[in-house]
Amino acid sequence: MIRLKRFNLGMFLFVAAFLWFILAFVVVPNFSIIKSVFFSADGVSTERLQAIVSSQRAVRGIKNSFLLAVTLPVTTTIIGILEVLFLEYFDIKGRKLLKVAYMIPLVFGGVMLANGYMFTYGSRGFITTSLLTIFPHMNPAWFRGYGAVLFLMSFACTSTYMIFFRNAFTNIDYQTIEAARGLGSSDFKILFKVVFPTLKPIFLTCTILLFQTGLMAMAAPLMIGGRDFETISPLILTFTQRPSSRTLAAVLSFFLGLMQLVLLYIIQRNERKGNFLSISKVKTTIKRVHIHSKPLNLLSHLTAYLFAFINAIPLIVVLLFSFTDYQTISSRHITLKSFSLENYQLILTSDTAYRPFVTSVFYATAASIIVVLMMMVIARFIFKYRNRFSTILEMLIHIPWVFPGLMFALGLVMTYSHPHAIVFNNVLTGSLVIMLIAYVVVLMPKTFRFLKASYYGVDQSLEDAAKILGAKPLYSYIKIVLPIILPTVLAMLAINFNGKLSDYDLSVFLYNPIAKPVGVVIRSNSSSESGIEGIALNFVYSVLLMAINSLVFFFVYADGKNTIKNLFNGRKTKNES
Amino acid sequence: MITFKNIQIKYNDFVAIPDLTFDVKEGEFFTLLGPSGCGKTTTLRALAGFLKTSRGVITIDDKDITDVPVHERQVGMVFQSYALFPSMSAYENIAFGLKVEKQPKEYIQERVAELAKMVDLTDEQLAKNVSNMSGGQQQRVAIARALAKKPKILVMDEPLSNLDAKLRKSLRKDIRDFQKKYDITMVYVTHDQEEALMLSDRIAVFNQGKLDQIGTPDEIYNHSQTEFVCKFIGDANYFSEEDLETIGLNSKRFESSNKFYIRPEKIYLSKEKRGLISGKIVSKEFYGMYAYYKIEVNGVEFQSFQSESNTDGLEVGDEVSVFVNLDDILNYSDEVKSHD
Repeated sequence: MIRLKRFNLGMFLFVAAFLWFILAFVVVPNFSIIKSVFFSADGVSTERLQAIVSSQRAVRGIKNSFLLAVTLPVTTTIIGILEVLFLEYFDIKGRKLLKVAYMIPLVFGGVMLANGYMFTYGSRGFITTSLLTIFPHMNPAWFRGYGAVLFLMSFACTSTYMIFFRNAFTNIDYQTIEAARGLGSSDFKILFKVVFPTLKPIFLTCTILLFQTGLMAMAAPLMIGGRDFETISPLILTFTQRPSSRTLAAVLSFFLGLMQLVLLYIIQRNERKGNFLSISKVKTTIKRVHIHSKPLNLLSHLTAYLFAFINAIPLIVVLLFSFTDYQTISSRHITLKSFSLENYQLILTSDTAYRPFVTSVFYATAASIIVVLMMMVIARFIFKYRNRFSTILEMLIHIPWVFPGLMFALGLVMTYSHPHAIVFNNVLTGSLVIMLIAYVVVLMPKTFRFLKASYYGVDQSLEDAAKILGAKPLYSYIKIVLPIILPTVLAMLAINFNGKLSDYDLSVFLYNPIAKPVGVVIRSNSSSESGIEGIALNFVYSVLLMAINSLVFFFVYADGKNTIKNLFNGRKTKNES
Repeated sequence: MITFKNIQIKYNDFVAIPDLTFDVKEGEFFTLLGPSGCGKTTTLRALAGFLKTSRGVITIDDKDITDVPVHERQVGMVFQSYALFPSMSAYENIAFGLKVEKQPKEYIQERVAELAKMVDLTDEQLAKNVSNMSGGQQQRVAIARALAKKPKILVMDEPLSNLDAKLRKSLRKDIRDFQKKYDITMVYVTHDQEEALMLSDRIAVFNQGKLDQIGTPDEIYNHSQTEFVCKFIGDANYFSEEDLETIGLNSKRFESSNKFYIRPEKIYLSKEKRGLISGKIVSKEFYGMYAYYKIEVNGVEFQSFQSESNTDGLEVGDEVSVFVNLDDILNYSDEVKSHD
């Protein structure tokens, strides 16, 4: 449609600056990695690839990563599907409690969770210490290596099933189940013949995402895998720390990038096949079925609660020990006298204790605000001006989704460890700003997608109406468009903040020693060399991060705003009456 | 008042409106009618200034406004979705344009009150958020907002299309009464023929970007100039030359025509055997106040519309006399012009 448009200088300058940002911090770093893999001082070379093949440690890392990537989808799928069925299909008593327990990985993940598992099942962990009193000859380091990593990640990654699979499952038209039942099918047969086939595309997407998670896992293999089970990501980190082996790290991260591309291709092909949608005009919601066989019912209840227990125990241990004194943390022996608020006091009073937390809050807040503001303008530009340039710009914004964060982080470190013209001959590696830039870059694609979708949700005639009434574009944007997209803007601010608050994978490559983020501090406090104070602080950090995560989750996903509003209104009405 | 002279509108390479010329008189209710994609909304948006014309001139009161920006054209617009600003109250919506103009607060309050009175909105309704208003109230807010800056012309883009049938009927009357009461020049877009016939002083019927006919509702309905207009407005039975001869109507009167249409209500039925044409009732669709009959005469079937007072005793299988006034036969040749 032909529209009367006026040239907007402000927008033009912003887009030009953004283009520079994309080139400097998305294109060039990723290109540097590719260049360092295939080019040496003498030109095109396979030297680096050969070095990886000849490094036993690197080959072992690749093999381990593949082992984890292949097995993780199997174990997580079994646990994830069972958890969804216990919540949504079978009539299991105490559903609300189970739901809370199964949701734990959504707010208690990454380096926090690994730390929680270490304190629970590690060689000096709470459970291990308790078990040692019963079985004194057992190996205290039983929770280590491939099995431990797989166990931890299998439960941690059920969040994929809790989000995607559960959503698809609850949207199934119950009438199809009733129809099958009417035709004489048993509840289990219905599950496999009617329900699961309609969820096939979601299965595949979850499997691919889990394969990717397994392949690129960082925190769990690093903290629990140990030397026996090194995977690619921790190896990249180790190689990056030695300038002489950075090119090896580059080759490994390039390998991850290639895998990511293949997986993205498979996901896209899967999406193109489409999903099975209900064709019912009067869709009915699923009613949970009672398991009539008593042994099977008992087994289902036991399994459901065992999963809940496994999910909850590290969190309960962390929460409980965060309120105990050093002596209790050291002995792992809790009595009524153990409880104290000294760890929380420490966070409030000690500069070294609260600094990492404040640093992370600052970085996560700044990155979240910057990326949201930036994407608000860019998404608006792309939405308004559909042409070849805006299409290319949109593609560039999605690059961080194509290449893994590790590859990009390494690219940044390698590219800007010396003066570079594109950043006006500044050295950025080791600076305070590089981690912020990285956070902004990795948050870009998701933020862009959501904001662009919200612009599409704004009725174009609203802006036409404002225009015919004489409003200038900026005025109608602020007065008309912004209030409509504000819920998405606020949600993105919260989700982005949450996503980067306890970040470890990216931060560990880029942090400045004077501004250590909390994710990195939790990791270093969890090492065996760390003292009791470090362990105690980890508990408090975890509890605080979890509280923030839960709040964001409650407000963004669980309609917290309305719940509070209703609560308040209810109380008001009561008072009035 | 409004003149479109040789207007051409293009969407990239596609010519949506090739060459459009018409005028609208002051105080007139002028409707642009046609099926989806015929160019009526395009024409309206060009008048409002949202679309650039590639050729021709648009004038309002003899002033060329072809290149005048949207907000300087003195055109108020009511959108299909009403486009009320969802984050604002009815008052804020109506006052929006005046605030943009930076009018004094007292003037804004006065003007909003005046408009609220015009469109029948109470103070309570003015304070409401527009999202919490009914369809009818929203429409009144949309009209008041469009009139706030005292435009010379009010344009409406299918404002009733999103409403249910009952509300549509009652609002139709409100719009018509309102336009007559305040003598506003109105350009109205719709694809609903009944709406156009009921509301308009004159109707312009669009067909594939061109105007097929401009006229009063009576002219458009009873003297459709083209086969397209005849078929688009209301129902009509089609007869070939041969069909007419078969049922006993003399087509020689319409020498140069080969396509004939008779509207169902222009075919009268009687149980008394006194007509020249006799037929048999094949089916009956009873709607309470009226009924549609399918009649068969010598193998040719057609429909007749009878009001409730005339349906008594007419049942399927009955032999009936069929009466048609030859003046009511709309006739066309393969060329477009009518000769009735």
